[in-house]
Amino acid sequence: MDSISYYLQTVLNGILAGCIYALFAMGLTLIYGVLNFVNFAHGELIMWGAYFLFLFMGEPFGLPLYAAILPALALTGCLGLAMDYSVFRPIRRANRLTLLIAAMGLSVFLRNAAQFFWGAEVRTYGLEVTAGMRFFGLTITAPQLAIIAVTLLCVAAVYLLFFKSRLGKSMRALSDNLDLARISGIDTKRAILAAWVISAVLAAVGGILLALDTNLSPEMGVINLIKAFAATLIGGVGNLWGALLGGMLIGLAENLGVLFISPGYKDAVAFVIMVIILLARPYVIIGERSD
Amino acid sequence: MDLLLHLAIVIAIYAIFALSLNVEVGYTGLFNFGHVAFFAIGAYTSALLTLAGFPFTIGLLAGLVLAGLCGYLLSIPALKLQGDYFGIATLGFGEILRMVVNNEVWLTKGPMGLPGIPRPDLFGVVFDTLPAYLALSGGFALVTFAILAFVVLSPFGRALKAVRDDETAAEILGKNAFRFKIKSFVIGSVFAGLAGVLWAHYTTFIGPGDFTLTETILVLLIVVMGGKGTFLGPVVGAVALIFFQESVRFLRLPPEWTRLLGPLQQMVFGLLLVVLMVFRPEGIIREKGGRRGD
Amino acid sequence: MKKLALLVAVIALVAFAAAPSARAADTIKIGAAFALSGSIAVYGEGFKKCIDLAVEEINAKGGIKGKKIEIVYEDNKSNPKDCVTAVRKLITVDKVPVIFGPAGSSNFMATAPVAQENKVVLISAQGAAVGLTKAGDYIFRVFPSDTLQGPHLAKLAMSKGYKKVPVMYVNNDWGLGLKNAFVDAYKKMGGTVTDIIAYDEKKTDYRTELLRASKGNPPAIVNLTYINEGAVQFKQAFEMGIKTQWLCGSAARAPKMVELAGKAAEGVIGTYPSVPQNTKAYQAFKEAYKKKYGDDKIPIFGDYNYDMVYVTARAIEKGGYTADGIRKALPQAAKGYKGVTGDKTFDNERSPKFAEYGIWVVKDGKIEDYKK
Repeated sequence: MDSISYYLQTVLNGILAGCIYALFAMGLTLIYGVLNFVNFAHGELIMWGAYFLFLFMGEPFGLPLYAAILPALALTGCLGLAMDYSVFRPIRRANRLTLLIAAMGLSVFLRNAAQFFWGAEVRTYGLEVTAGMRFFGLTITAPQLAIIAVTLLCVAAVYLLFFKSRLGKSMRALSDNLDLARISGIDTKRAILAAWVISAVLAAVGGILLALDTNLSPEMGVINLIKAFAATLIGGVGNLWGALLGGMLIGLAENLGVLFISPGYKDAVAFVIMVIILLARPYVIIGERSD
Repeated sequence: MDLLLHLAIVIAIYAIFALSLNVEVGYTGLFNFGHVAFFAIGAYTSALLTLAGFPFTIGLLAGLVLAGLCGYLLSIPALKLQGDYFGIATLGFGEILRMVVNNEVWLTKGPMGLPGIPRPDLFGVVFDTLPAYLALSGGFALVTFAILAFVVLSPFGRALKAVRDDETAAEILGKNAFRFKIKSFVIGSVFAGLAGVLWAHYTTFIGPGDFTLTETILVLLIVVMGGKGTFLGPVVGAVALIFFQESVRFLRLPPEWTRLLGPLQQMVFGLLLVVLMVFRPEGIIREKGGRRGD
Repeated sequence: MKKLALLVAVIALVAFAAAPSARAADTIKIGAAFALSGSIAVYGEGFKKCIDLAVEEINAKGGIKGKKIEIVYEDNKSNPKDCVTAVRKLITVDKVPVIFGPAGSSNFMATAPVAQENKVVLISAQGAAVGLTKAGDYIFRVFPSDTLQGPHLAKLAMSKGYKKVPVMYVNNDWGLGLKNAFVDAYKKMGGTVTDIIAYDEKKTDYRTELLRASKGNPPAIVNLTYINEGAVQFKQAFEMGIKTQWLCGSAARAPKMVELAGKAAEGVIGTYPSVPQNTKAYQAFKEAYKKKYGDDKIPIFGDYNYDMVYVTARAIEKGGYTADGIRKALPQAAKGYKGVTGDKTFDNERSPKFAEYGIWVVKDGKIEDYKK
C-alpha cells in the first residue's frame, strides 16, 4: 500500500490495540484500586474468557458466536469470584508481596490448565476469513469494527456503573480507603464481589475481541498483563479513565514504534515504557493509599 | 544411575541459583522477579566465549563479572522502587533481556540458540562425563554455600536483615540501606551468573526459551518453599522441586500422556506457590525469629 | 510440606524404577525424537505413521537378519531444549546406536552436537537448512539441502517477471539458510531484494510484518514460512486487503496449511524438492499407506521418513548394529538406492546428491503442481 495509507493503517492498528489494552487495564486497575494489589493472574482471566467462548462454540455445545458470548462472560465472572474466594480473600491482610506471589502462582496454574485442556497450539474460532472493508484507503475487518464499538460500549457502561450508581460509589469509597469504608457501614463484601465480576468481565470481553482478531493461545494472557500494568501505571492506580488513556497510549506507541524499530521488539515497547515510568516517577508509591 | 547423576547435577546448579536469589529475597527483602536475566547473562557470556575458542576459565570469569556488573547497573535505578514495583520493574528487565537475546541474531543466534557448547576444561581435565560434571557443579555448589553462609551469618548479613525488616530503624542505627541493598543485589547476580555458566556447559545448548518467566517462577518457588531467609532453605527447596520436575521427565509414558505431563507439572508448581502463600509463607524451614507473611 | 516432598519423592522413585533399562536382546532398537506434542506435533504424528508403515513392511519380510525392528519414540515437545533432552535420553537410557532426528532444522541442529559427541548416528528426513550436517560425520540427512532450493526459487521469481521482491522469513536456521540461498541466487540473476523481514515462529499476529512487507504494493512477496505461521499470515494478509503473489519454499506445502488458511491460501506458489509420484515405487507406497491408514494423503515429508527407515535398515544389515558400523555403511547403503523419493546417494556432506525441484500451487483449495 502507498505511504499515506501505510501510516494511517499503522495509526488505526494502534487505536485498535489501544482499545483492547484499555479494556484490560480498566479491569486490572479496578482490582488494584479496590483491593490494593496487582492481580498477576488478570492475564489468565483474559485468556480464559477467550477460551470459554471457544468451549461454547465447539462440541458439545456448538453454539454460534452470539449465543456463546453470554455464558463465556458469565463463566469468567465466576472464575474471578472463585479466584478471590479461594486465594485472595484468605490472604487479604497479608504483605503485598505475598499477594503478588500468590497471584503469580495462580497465573501459572491457570495458564497451564488451559494448555492441559486445549494444547499449546494456536486455535481459532473457525470463522470464515473475509476481506476487510476499505474506507479512505484503510482496511478494517468486522472483528476490528467490533473492537471499537464494544470498547465504547464498555466504557459507557463502566461510567454509568461507577459514577451513577450506589454500587459504584461503594467501590470508589473502597478504592480510597478500605478500612474507612468498612467502618462507614458500606457493604464492602458486595462492593468487592462486584469489583471482581466487573474486572473479570472486562478481561473476558477484551480477550474475546483479541482472539477474534488474532486467534487463541494459552500464552496470550501473559504479555497482555504487562501491557495492562504499564497502562495502569500511566493512568494512576485505581483511575479508570487513566487506564483507558494509558491503554490507548501504549497501543499507539507500540504500533508507531515499529515504524522505527524491528518488529521483534514490538512487545518490548510496553515494557520499556513501564520501566521508564517506574523509574522516573517513584513518587507514584507515595501518592498511594494509606493502608 | 545416569538419572541420579543428572538429578544431582541439576540440583547442584539450581541450589546455587536459589541461594543467590535468597540473598536478595530472603535476607534483603528484595523481590527480584528478573533474576533469571543474570542466569542468562552468565550462560550466554560463557557459551559465546568458549564457542569462540576461549578457555573455560575465561568464560567462567567473564560470566561472573558481566552478571555482577549488570546487576550493579540495574540495581542503582531499580532500588529506588519499593516492594512490588521493584518486583515488576525487575520482571520487565528480565523480559527485555530475553527479547534482546531473541532478536540480536548476530550476537546470540536468536531463537536458534547456541548448540555445541564445549564441556569445561579446567586445569587440563575435561569434565565431559556425568560423574565428572557432578564433581564440578557439586564443588561449586559447596563453595557457593560456604561463601554465602559466611556472608549471611556475618554482621553484613545481619545488617541486611535489619534493612529488610525495618529500613528506617536500620538507617537510624547508621546503616546506609541503599548501599547494603546494592551489595546484596550484586552478590546475588554474580552467583546467579555462576549457576548460568554451569547450566550452559552442562546442557550444551541454550536458547532464549530457556530463560523465561517459567524459570523465574521455579527458582522463586524453590526459595519460598524451602524457606527464605534461611541458609538451608534454598537447598532443601532445590532438592524437593528439582527431584519432582526432572524425574518425571524420565517416566515411560505413552505419547498421548507426555503432552499432558508438562502442563500438569506446571499446574502443580503454580498450585504449590498459592498454597504456600496462603498456609505457610515461611516455607519448609522457618526462619528464626522471622515474621509470618514476610 | 516435608511430607509432601517425601511423598513425591517416593512416587518418583517407584515410577522410574518401573522404567525398563536394558534392551531386549533380539530386537533392533532405533530411536526417534519426534514432535508428538506441542506446536509442530502435526509433523511428528505424520512421520510416525510413515515410519511405522516401513517398519511393519520390513519386519513382515523377516526384519534385519531375523531380528525385528523396534522404534523407540521420544516426544520432543516441539522445542529445541526438549529435543536435546529427548536425544540425550535415547542415548543414555535406551542406548540406541542410531536416532531419527526431529523436524525443524533448528531443533535438529541443537541435537546434532550431542549425537556427534556421543558417537551416535543421527539422521534427518526433512531438515533442509544449509549446513545441517556440519556437526560431524555421524550426522546424515536424506532430504536435500536448501543450497539447492534457493536458486530454483530465484528462477521462479525471475521467470514470472518479478524483478524486485521483499523477503520475509522465519527467524531460525531453516529460514535464514533458505533466505541466504535465495538472495544470493536472485541477485546473481539480476533481481533486487527490497526488504528483508525476519519474524518469530508461533506468533498469533503477523500484521506488523505483513504491513511492512506490503509497503509500496509489491506484485510479489517471498515468504519462507511454515504451516501454522503461513496459514495465519495468509489469512491476515487477506483480511488486510493485501493483494500480491506469494512465493514460498517447501515447508508450507501441506494440506493442513490450506485447511487452516481457507481461501486466503488460494494462488500461493512455491518450490519444493519434487518427487515424481507416478513411479511404481511411489504408487506402491501410497497403496500401502492407504491400506494401513485409510486415506492416501501422505503427510508432509512422510515419504522421506519412509525412505530413511529403509536406508537405515540396509546400513544395519551391511555394517552391523553398532553406531560406527552404521555410520560407515550408510553411504554404501544409500548409493544408488532408489527410494520412493528418488536416488538417495550421499554427497561429501552426507546430504543427498540429487534433487529435483518442482513448483507447487494452491488451486481450488488443493495443492497441485504448477503448470505454467
